[in-house]
Amino acid sequence: ENREDMLSSKSNKLTEALEEANKLFSGVSCAREAALDAQFLVLASNLGKEKANELHSEMTAFDSPAFAEDLLTFMGLNRIEVEEKDSDNEGFSGGYLPSNAWHKLGAETEKYFRRAPSFHYMLGSFKSEPPVPRQRIERQKKATGREEKRAMPAQLKKMEESHQEATEKEVERILRLLQTHFKNDPDLPISFFDLVIDPNSFARTVENIFHVSFIIRDGFAQIKLDEDKLPIIEPVQHHEGREEDRSNLARNQAVISLSHQEWK
Amino acid sequence: QVSELVQFLLVKDQKKIPIKRSDILKKVIGEYKDVYSEIVNRAGRTLQQVFGLQLVEIDTKHHIYILVSTLPRTEGENLRQDDQTAKLGLLAVILSFIFMKGNSAKDGAVWEFLRRLRVHPGERHEVFGDVRKLVMEEFVRQKYLDISPIPLTDPVEFKFQWGPRAAKETSKREMLQFVAAIQGKEPSFWTSQFKEAEAQP
Repeated sequence: ENREDMLSSKSNKLTEALEEANKLFSGVSCAREAALDAQFLVLASNLGKEKANELHSEMTAFDSPAFAEDLLTFMGLNRIEVEEKDSDNEGFSGGYLPSNAWHKLGAETEKYFRRAPSFHYMLGSFKSEPPVPRQRIERQKKATGREEKRAMPAQLKKMEESHQEATEKEVERILRLLQTHFKNDPDLPISFFDLVIDPNSFARTVENIFHVSFIIRDGFAQIKLDEDKLPIIEPVQHHEGREEDRSNLARNQAVISLSHQEWK
Repeated sequence: QVSELVQFLLVKDQKKIPIKRSDILKKVIGEYKDVYSEIVNRAGRTLQQVFGLQLVEIDTKHHIYILVSTLPRTEGENLRQDDQTAKLGLLAVILSFIFMKGNSAKDGAVWEFLRRLRVHPGERHEVFGDVRKLVMEEFVRQKYLDISPIPLTDPVEFKFQWGPRAAKETSKREMLQFVAAIQGKEPSFWTSQFKEAEAQP
């Protein structure tokens, strides 16, 4: 029971106890007592070994509290002011230890170990035997490479399609606008500029001209110059066999320029 | 058979539980028992040449194997950090404590030391969960620690020592360097530990 006492290098209690046991042994006559004596010897020798150990480390005393403090510092302990009267602490550091503290320490310790990295299949494993891992990893790399390339053109295709659709939709929309307008008011031609100019956006204006040019190209509308030499636009009447008509239409090319200034 | 054994060993090693020869015989070798040692040797060569891993028998009586890396650990900032990393930190702390205290330490001393690092055996730890279980069971099963009861202690006290896996995966010199790095001192500062560490090949 007096373990700590006996362990202290300053005490001779262990020696005293041994000496007493020796004395007692001479008075031993029955087995039970001998057994107790043997038990005592085991205990005593354990203590003796521990004492010897303590001596050994005494030579180059390892200051474990200091080690602990340095570890905490490394792990990123946020030392906050702790009140003197904080009885819970018993000399332990106060402060906040971040949640990745041990991961940080672990990462540092890895260099001191030759641990085999934990082996895992990258894509998980089936019940049946998968091929040897190394090949798997290489194949995996190649597979991702190919997939990425496939993803790229697929994406581009989608974009182009949507572009085309958008253009077509716009063109149709403008044409319908034109036709509706003309239906309501067949004698009033529409000023080209009224149609295409967006007072708020130059870019939109240019887009509108672009879309209208499709309508003209396909022969659904035509541009004429009115008395003021300003272009007007009107839908082409639909005749029987209009395909031939369309090809007979004189095709002219004109360049309309519109600068930002002019637009303003 | 050889490649099957290689895969078997790699998967078994994930949890760092040593691999028994009986398991190897049962699961992989099967009918090829006679050529067991040949298969094992070849598997060992493959592991070394392809993965840089060494198949080590840590218990020649019961024939138990572990895998150890022969390559220096890559250093880098963005390497994967997971629970295994954190556990390794805890293990390194315990191993270095044991070594610096003269190659063995009582459980009371170990836990008192860990308490300073906010690790308590009775409380659930944010990272490690049931720490007592981790230290006393998992680390022991993995052969990182050797924990034995001290005879005639009541209530029972335990003696902590390095396990055979620890002896293979690291060394006294490495752990002393770890301590020195953390404390900003030279390893030779602790003369007897330094001598002891240098004495080992």
